[in-house]
Amino acid sequence: MRTDDLIQQLAGDARPVRRLHPPVLRTGIWLAVSLPWVAAVVYVMGIRPDLGVQMSDGHWLFEQSAALLTALMAAMAAFCAGVPGRPKWEHYLPLLPLAMWLAALGQGCVQDWLSLGSAGLVVRPDWQCLPGIVFVGLGPAIAMTVMILRGSPIAPMTTTALGALAAGGLAEVGLRLFHQEDASLMVLIWQAGTVFGLSFLAGLFGRKLLRWRLASMR
Amino acid sequence: MIFALTWEFCQRAPYVDVRGVDMFSGQALHAAGIYGHLRRGALTKGDLDARLGTLMRAAQNGDTAAYSELLRHSVPIIVRVVNSRRHFGLDTDDIVQDVMMSLHSVRHTYDPDRDFTPWLASIARHRLIDAQRRRSRIAKNETAVPEIPETFSGDQANWDVDGQGDPELLRRAIADLPAGQRQAVELLKLKELSLKEASAASGMSIAALKVAVHRGLKALRLRLLEPGAEADSDRNE
Repeated sequence: MRTDDLIQQLAGDARPVRRLHPPVLRTGIWLAVSLPWVAAVVYVMGIRPDLGVQMSDGHWLFEQSAALLTALMAAMAAFCAGVPGRPKWEHYLPLLPLAMWLAALGQGCVQDWLSLGSAGLVVRPDWQCLPGIVFVGLGPAIAMTVMILRGSPIAPMTTTALGALAAGGLAEVGLRLFHQEDASLMVLIWQAGTVFGLSFLAGLFGRKLLRWRLASMR
Repeated sequence: MIFALTWEFCQRAPYVDVRGVDMFSGQALHAAGIYGHLRRGALTKGDLDARLGTLMRAAQNGDTAAYSELLRHSVPIIVRVVNSRRHFGLDTDDIVQDVMMSLHSVRHTYDPDRDFTPWLASIARHRLIDAQRRRSRIAKNETAVPEIPETFSGDQANWDVDGQGDPELLRRAIADLPAGQRQAVELLKLKELSLKEASAASGMSIAALKVAVHRGLKALRLRLLEPGAEADSDRNE
């Protein structure tokens, strides 16, 4: 097919389209859709009895805030990554809050070690975390998938990995509202580890999920 | 996530100098017919981008004339992006058309508050990389040959090259078939009639024709490929 003919065909198919909202607004929409799901799961699972005590613990609050900020920045980065022509640095938005989150967990590990010795660094199996995060993160992940499918697949692996990090980060925040596991090393390995593992896996499937859906013109 | 970022960065590393490409110079703008305006100072780069952005905004609202004009102005810009990178073995026109269809499929992602050319260049760059990836994947599984062989190299595909195609031998073998099988082979294989036509011509049922032609071909195969085997086969039956 000649390029002129293709132009004519494409122009003839120029139906009005609904523009994507800016990434900040899309992040807000995603959060608004995801939060009710997270709240519902937390309610069903039962809020941890010591939540009031935890809310007065600055370290716990910092970890939760950093995880939430990581989720929000990852969501925004995922939405930015789906728009052609936006600067590359936006892909790295979640790195700072992620570093803060990991640093807080690392500092917690050191504190546990100083106060409890080697007993503070015991790693026990905690298989509740994986299904917990998957279940809490299901709603945010579905919302994220629907939203990133509206974008363009110019960086599919990055977009998908960032989207999974966003959903996982939000799930982690929700999980800690009903799951009583606050040993930093356990949180680092079983909860943060699950989030990172799922993000990694999601990234691997990015090209399968996000594809160019071209009209058959030629 | 870090893995994905690093992977995609590495994949695109040789092409990341997007911003080094001047979309507003040379062949691109000359072909777009607006080079003269720029040179005369009648049109700045910002003006051009604003113009293209306006066209795209109108296209997003369903303005076909604006969209057509935008696509025409986009072609040289896409060509410029493609030619600024290595694309051995890839046809520029194919890539340009691929980029235009991609542009069409994601035109809702353009934000009118941002510049148009970086948006377009980004799509062009990524589609070029996709095309290169596709090509390298194909190249891994295909072998270039100077001349395409007429048949496959297996013996079964070349059974008739060494005298097995002797028409006289075949004629005699067919003549030696029992009458029913011979008639079925002649009608269905030599005259290439359909089963229904052969049935009408011979008075045999379709089922009988199928059986007869199957047996006839089997007998011919034995007679032509393994002389002497037919007698054994007959004895067995």
